[in-house]
Amino acid sequence: MTLTLKEQPKVPLEAETLSPDVLAPLAPDAIRALPVHLGKRRLRVDDFFEVEGAAGDELEIRGDAARVKWIGRGMTRGRIRILGNAGMHLGAYMKGGSIEVTGNTSDWLGGEMSGGLIRVHGNAGGQVGAAYRGSVSGMTGGTILIEGSAGLEVGSRMRRGLIAMGGQVRDFAGLLMKGGTIVLRGGAELRTGAWMSRGTIVSLAPIPLLPTFSYSCTYTPTFLRLYARHFRTLGFTIPCDEQEGGYRRYTGDASIPGKGEILVWKPRAS
Amino acid sequence: MLRITGGKVYDPANNIDGVVKDVCIAEGRVVPEVKGGRSVDASGMVVLPGGVDIHSHIAGAALNFARGLTPENYRRALTFSHTPERRAGLGGITPTTFATGYLYAAMGWTTVNEAAVPILSARHTHEEMHDIPILDKASLVLMANNEIVLDLLEAGEVERARHVVAWLLWAAKAYGVKGVNPGGVVAWKSGKNANTLSDPVEGYTRVTPAGIISSLAGIVDDLRLPHPLHLHCNNLGVPGNVATTIETLKILEGRRCHMAHLQFHAYGGDGWGTIRSEAATLAEHFNARTNLTADAGAILFGDAMTITADGPWEHVLYKLTGRKWGNVDVENETGCGIVPYTYKERSLVNAVQWAAGLELLLLISDPWRIFLTTDHPNGACFWRYPELIDLLMHADRRRECLSRLAPAALKRIVLPDLDRQYTLSEIAIITSAGPARALGLARKGHLGVGADADVVLYDEMPGDRPLFGSPRYVIKGGEIAVEDGEIRPVSQGREFIVRPRFDEGIEDFLRPLFQKVYTISFNNYAVEMERLAGAEVHVCE
Amino acid sequence: MGGKVTCTLGEVKNRADFIVYWGGNPAECHPRHFTKYTLTQKGRFVPEGRKGRTMVLVDIRETPSARAADLFLQIRPGKDFEVLTTLRALVKKQRVDEEAAAGTGLTLDQLQDLVDRMKRARFGVLFFGMGVSMTRGKHMNSAAVLTLAAELNAFTKFVCMPMRGHGNVTGSDMVLRWSTGYPFGINLSRGYPRFNPGEFSTVDLLVRGDNDAALILGADPGATMPQPGIEHLARIPTIVLDPKVTHTSRLARVHITTAATGISAPGTVYRMDEVPLPLRPALKSPYPTDEEVIRRIRRAVAEKPAWTPAANAGMAIS
Repeated sequence: MTLTLKEQPKVPLEAETLSPDVLAPLAPDAIRALPVHLGKRRLRVDDFFEVEGAAGDELEIRGDAARVKWIGRGMTRGRIRILGNAGMHLGAYMKGGSIEVTGNTSDWLGGEMSGGLIRVHGNAGGQVGAAYRGSVSGMTGGTILIEGSAGLEVGSRMRRGLIAMGGQVRDFAGLLMKGGTIVLRGGAELRTGAWMSRGTIVSLAPIPLLPTFSYSCTYTPTFLRLYARHFRTLGFTIPCDEQEGGYRRYTGDASIPGKGEILVWKPRAS
Repeated sequence: MLRITGGKVYDPANNIDGVVKDVCIAEGRVVPEVKGGRSVDASGMVVLPGGVDIHSHIAGAALNFARGLTPENYRRALTFSHTPERRAGLGGITPTTFATGYLYAAMGWTTVNEAAVPILSARHTHEEMHDIPILDKASLVLMANNEIVLDLLEAGEVERARHVVAWLLWAAKAYGVKGVNPGGVVAWKSGKNANTLSDPVEGYTRVTPAGIISSLAGIVDDLRLPHPLHLHCNNLGVPGNVATTIETLKILEGRRCHMAHLQFHAYGGDGWGTIRSEAATLAEHFNARTNLTADAGAILFGDAMTITADGPWEHVLYKLTGRKWGNVDVENETGCGIVPYTYKERSLVNAVQWAAGLELLLLISDPWRIFLTTDHPNGACFWRYPELIDLLMHADRRRECLSRLAPAALKRIVLPDLDRQYTLSEIAIITSAGPARALGLARKGHLGVGADADVVLYDEMPGDRPLFGSPRYVIKGGEIAVEDGEIRPVSQGREFIVRPRFDEGIEDFLRPLFQKVYTISFNNYAVEMERLAGAEVHVCE
Repeated sequence: MGGKVTCTLGEVKNRADFIVYWGGNPAECHPRHFTKYTLTQKGRFVPEGRKGRTMVLVDIRETPSARAADLFLQIRPGKDFEVLTTLRALVKKQRVDEEAAAGTGLTLDQLQDLVDRMKRARFGVLFFGMGVSMTRGKHMNSAAVLTLAAELNAFTKFVCMPMRGHGNVTGSDMVLRWSTGYPFGINLSRGYPRFNPGEFSTVDLLVRGDNDAALILGADPGATMPQPGIEHLARIPTIVLDPKVTHTSRLARVHITTAATGISAPGTVYRMDEVPLPLRPALKSPYPTDEEVIRRIRRAVAEKPAWTPAANAGMAIS
């Protein structure tokens, strides 16, 4: 099924019906009639998208859908490919299946997701895999891979799963983290790991740390070598060769007090 | 004008127990006959007086505090979309104001008593009440930790204290007097509590919790308030607290009193590991003392929100659970603590609590003295009352639930031995007729001529659904508020308030004292009548 | 995060012996705060008045409020979160990196001293202003203050309170909470209330240009918003209700002059500690009240054909 954006919404368009679970059993005409919300008005999918193709688990969306929100909400299966940009809450509450975006996404990518795979070739916004306001947990499973940069509070309140960044992230990556892994290949701005109680943040670039993180040792943990193998299957690498350097391990956040760790790669001085 | 015909009427206050008869309504009241108007065919339905909730937390500073603390609960809540005739809202554990009216009415309840209001924010409570549609309301103001009153009791000036209490009631435009953890909430302002009834309260040498209880109960009786002192006993929630509760019953010797959420005060044992239900013992003492009424404060398994003026207890709960904690101390008057809580079947403590509530309802023999509440939202949300009714009416339902409890719990409770099943008439008493009588609302809780036309019609045989799950019709003040699940716009409900007698000169005593210890102008303290939507004043003679 | 431990201002007056003002300048922005509530009054349990209290001012620069302080702690701009997080650790006697701590502008000794003073207090209060809530970290800075105050209750009585400014922002928070469940940033476009700061809060909507009309009441975003937000307001139909012609009025399509609430219009205001106070107008105004204008607008809108499909109720998304 291919949906091509033909009309830019003047205000954000909420399109949670664009999800394999909803679309898979439907014929194109039924899909065209599905509701989308433009502000307070309920309209049809075909008011904004050309719909072509056959029913099934694969959905392709073409165009600059930066203002289209909630695509893939709560999906449990199937594949979404977005050739262009996507709006907020892409893959929020996702349980399974996969989403791939060639362009950029907005805030709340994979918010509170529990399974599945999201891959973004461009940049993401803030609150990647994060908890919505007041929730006890953010993402509890699944994998989010972003080649570009992201904004604030990446992985906030994360309990399980993996977020891997290519570019830099802004403040509060891993805020209130309880578990899971965040890999920051492009480093971060301030307050990484703030108030974390458990979990692992790996940074390949030096990052400023809160006073409540204390240096414990430099090494390359065994589990990281296993992770590195897994990361290679996902398409990126992290250094693990002791000839090349090691990871400075910081524990924190002492304000909780937490048992999280931040591993910062330090290349061996040549 | 309305005639309800062919329904089986349950009106226990008028000794009508399942009789097929017409109920005629005109100008908002039950009348002997009507000619013309609409006729509602109630064949196959039971007809009951509208529900009266004697103890709930629905409007004001404490509840609004809880709302702000837990935005995540609203994402899971029932949504009410706005229409030209209906306001938007959210249900869940702490429903918004408009949703509160719709949820109660949709269940068949038409009168609700907000059980705990600080006088300093009474204005806020009335503003929220203004935004609760359909229902009639009343509110109780907190007095048992009011420092002006306590200072007077310390000085032995009970007469003057009575005038102050009366003045405060009128200033707040409230319906009655509430006491919460007497002496304990004021002690909490110094980080302490009041665990023993006969020891002086923190900061005082003569005032004891026992003294506060008996003085306030006496004052309320002397003021001839329609509802007695409404009391949340000391040591709420603490294993072994049944001793405190029984001691409190003795202190109230001869005085009227309404005991709030009695389940939370019915525990034996001496710690969380040994806690057991002492509902049977408490019921025995309670049955013998006919000057008292009580509401159950039962818990149901699932999510809840503890909201209470019992600040020290909430701090304990916060340390036990590690969940969010809200606390606000209100100058000179009271305080409030909030901790979200989840009752779990596999928890021994929660199992004991669940059983204790049901045991009280089954073992207190006079349904006119024990009323159905969950201390919403502390024990369970009010919109789950139908589940509780189901448990009271069906012993097999109780046995099903018992089979899911941790086996160790069965040794701490007597519920498995209780076979009593509530009849529909008894349910009508504990959900309507009884609370109305205890509140002193003469036109509520019954369907006799002259009663307010608050009538609920349920299908007699609803199949799988609990009997009280979805009424066919809910009539409020003679207008059809709910018809087959559809909420209709009706007139706004009223607020019941009292005007007790007090010497106007008491203001000369209060004013300078007030300016010394409060931080607002004395002239801004009392709530003006215009602020209330449709007040009905009960003048106390 | 933790929650909120607070009190009404009379509790501060009667009991507080340790006051911290953080990121605020009460001497200029809340000019009666010291004299009415926190420093000079003789409290029921602080009969010595000023002498019975210690006031600590924490800010990035020395403002006139510092003159009233017993201790002024100057921190580096944008470091509030670091300081508060470090204090939380020190309260729990946890290890802290001394060098990183010094990067806040305060030494470890100064931070430890503050913690010791807070623990020794009989009743401590932390008032926090826009220097906390509006600087880098924003809501997390506020959360840090709230959590620190809550955690200090393991040792002594400690509360916190936001120094609310500008008219009746607390009142708006209260009313929105009871009627919608949420304090601000509420979206009703799907028929029922939804809340997501960062998505539906005013500055975010305006800067992204996510709305196509605006009704402004009792605020002046044309003066306070980032430039892209102001430009957006000028592009879309904007309606302003205000007693004065404001910056926003100048870029609006419609400006309706209304009576000034509290001066010529009655109502209720909620103080920063959420105590409600009646407003009794002292003067009459030739202009209608905000309420009258909104009611008239609603009546006019009600006469237009209905646009919400009745079946909207089934489309909850949260």
